Amino acid sequence: MTDDRHGRTLIAWFFIAPGLLGLALFVALPFLLAVGLSCTNLRLGSPLPLEFVGFEQFRRIFSEPTLLRALANNGLFALVVVPLQTLLALGLALLLNRRLAGLIFFRTIFFMPVVFPLSLVAVVWVLIFAPGINGMLNSALDVVSLGAWQPRDFLHDPYLALPAIMLTSIWQGMGFQMVIILAGLQAINQELYEAAAMDGAGRWRQFVNITLPQLRNTLIFVVLVTTVLAFRLFDQVQIMTQGGPRNATTTAMYEAVQAAFGRQQVGRGAAITVVLFCVAVAITCLQRRIIRQERQVS
Amino acid sequence: MREQVMLLVIAVLLLVAGCAEEQGEQPGVMKLQAWVHAGQQAERLVLEEQVARFNRRQQGVQLELTLIPERSYNAQIQAAALAGDLPDLLEFDGPYLANYVWQGHLRPLDDLLPSQLKDDLLPSIITQGTYRGRLFAVGVFDSGLGLYGRRSQLLATGARIPARPDEAWGAEEFSRLLKELAKGDADGAVLDLKFNYPGEWFTYAFSPIVQSAGGDLLDRRHSGKAAGVLDSSESVGALTQLQSWLAAGYVDGNVDDAAFVSGRVALSWAGHWEYRRYKEMVGDDLVALPLPDFGYGSRTGQGSWCWGITATGDRAKAAGTFLRFLLRPAEVLAMSGANGAVPATHSALAQSELYGPRGPLHLFAEQLSGGISVTRPRTPAYPVITSAFQQAFHDIRHGADVRTTLQRAAAIIDEDIADNKGYP
Repeated sequence: MTDDRHGRTLIAWFFIAPGLLGLALFVALPFLLAVGLSCTNLRLGSPLPLEFVGFEQFRRIFSEPTLLRALANNGLFALVVVPLQTLLALGLALLLNRRLAGLIFFRTIFFMPVVFPLSLVAVVWVLIFAPGINGMLNSALDVVSLGAWQPRDFLHDPYLALPAIMLTSIWQGMGFQMVIILAGLQAINQELYEAAAMDGAGRWRQFVNITLPQLRNTLIFVVLVTTVLAFRLFDQVQIMTQGGPRNATTTAMYEAVQAAFGRQQVGRGAAITVVLFCVAVAITCLQRRIIRQERQVS
Repeated sequence: MREQVMLLVIAVLLLVAGCAEEQGEQPGVMKLQAWVHAGQQAERLVLEEQVARFNRRQQGVQLELTLIPERSYNAQIQAAALAGDLPDLLEFDGPYLANYVWQGHLRPLDDLLPSQLKDDLLPSIITQGTYRGRLFAVGVFDSGLGLYGRRSQLLATGARIPARPDEAWGAEEFSRLLKELAKGDADGAVLDLKFNYPGEWFTYAFSPIVQSAGGDLLDRRHSGKAAGVLDSSESVGALTQLQSWLAAGYVDGNVDDAAFVSGRVALSWAGHWEYRRYKEMVGDDLVALPLPDFGYGSRTGQGSWCWGITATGDRAKAAGTFLRFLLRPAEVLAMSGANGAVPATHSALAQSELYGPRGPLHLFAEQLSGGISVTRPRTPAYPVITSAFQQAFHDIRHGADVRTTLQRAAAIIDEDIADNKGYP
């Protein structure tokens, strides 16, 4: 008996070994390195000796408003994009989870943005957001509003730049969540719906009492992943706004890359990523806690 | 047990993968690696032809090009340097020279180029390639920066057309001209500042107006610091003037890079590389003009991509052969013909149709030889200087207070210089 158990534990370790190795190599090790580097003045390519500077890098990044602004932007982005993108993806998945002529076509269309490289998507959206009346979005809004729309320079407007990036991100990322939710929907046992229909439950009650509870784990997964991605926001910012106007769209990741590769201050960049990691982990833990509590209540 | 076997397998696989990258060299043939930026297509094609010509002429040396995207070029070089993977020959943007020399990546070229060839190089190319008295890089071409306009449109407003740098419009005169042009323009935006360009453009194109006003990016003569110079009233004044053009709506966002060719704007603040495209669209009406004078005479940008050698010993000698080949008048003209840049040697310049005394772009050659063009600061702190200036420029573009923005930029630069102990 104990021998058998021992063997099973060994096999279990064997199977999770590659995963653990990957995590250790690509998550734990870089993080520990970043923690180490953030306490130094490491500069890219500098021939000067490396110095231990303690918490100086952290003191500096917190003594300027830029990083706080970046983290606030990340937070705002997550707060808007995570619920909106999840809801839209759920809606799309529900629409596409039925027998419909040309279903494959629609699913492909909605999933396609996910396949495009993010940089390409960002460039296309820069053109969509072009300023002036000839800009694609501006002229579309002009037509829709019967000429009442005043053309805006979306990506250089302090109030519209971040929403513009949110829109791009939602459009690009929605398909991914949609596919996951679609898989979740198809895993729901059809008998549940049949039984509910027999009991006289309408579409809405079926959705609230069967679909949502059955999708619970899928939705939790989707929300967690989207949140983490929201804190990693970089590509769109780099291509569409370069953090501007006046830091309205800068993010922690963008600041870290700017420091480490733009100004060759790796120590500072590392300190920013350490802060970012801690914030992201804290928020993920908080989310999990809230979700777990709900489970206990229900 | 099993996981140990597994680990062993992985380790062996990693080793094999690592070894596979090491290619065997043919005996007797020296393979040289060169990294270049993936620029315009015409430029790339000519360079590839030049390498092919060079390889045919050489018996024991074969040069191989690797193209790297321009946007992340410096980051790639830094990463390669860290990994000890730098190629034998390196093309890089001029102002990064001091940083690379300071980091110890480049070897001096003094013994690899005959003095006759060095004498043939334009002074601006020598200045760009020299750090602490030694020549570390040579460019095949230099750059020209100015304003392009449509002559007829300018004359219609009653403006005078400056032909030489010392005839440049004054800043106030230029502002009045913009106002005049805007009156007859559909959307009021009459000036293209190439806001669609990434990164280095902003330091290259707009630090000259700071210098024209009597300011600079940092004190080059004495303290070596930015405070007191980058945030001086002269610098603040110049960028405030520019900010006023933006506030008045004179500047086109130019997302599609078609502001000038499509006729949306009357003036385009641009480099030599736009000449061919503009000429094609505008024809003989096209005129190249010096940048406005902010008080101390018109100033303009200078410098471009150039070549340095990282190799040592025999490989460095072979790399030197390639540079000498690139600097032959015919090769210099071939490249200049492709990208429209100012040829880097006097001998080639004399034969150039564009830049000769009667050429349409003679202005750019005149700016380079007449001390009108300013080399960007030759200090290892340059990556930080340009990053801080670009950030400041974008903030000013978006309406930030000019003085406090420049003060912050100066503080970032000076902090980095202090962190690096003055870049000894």
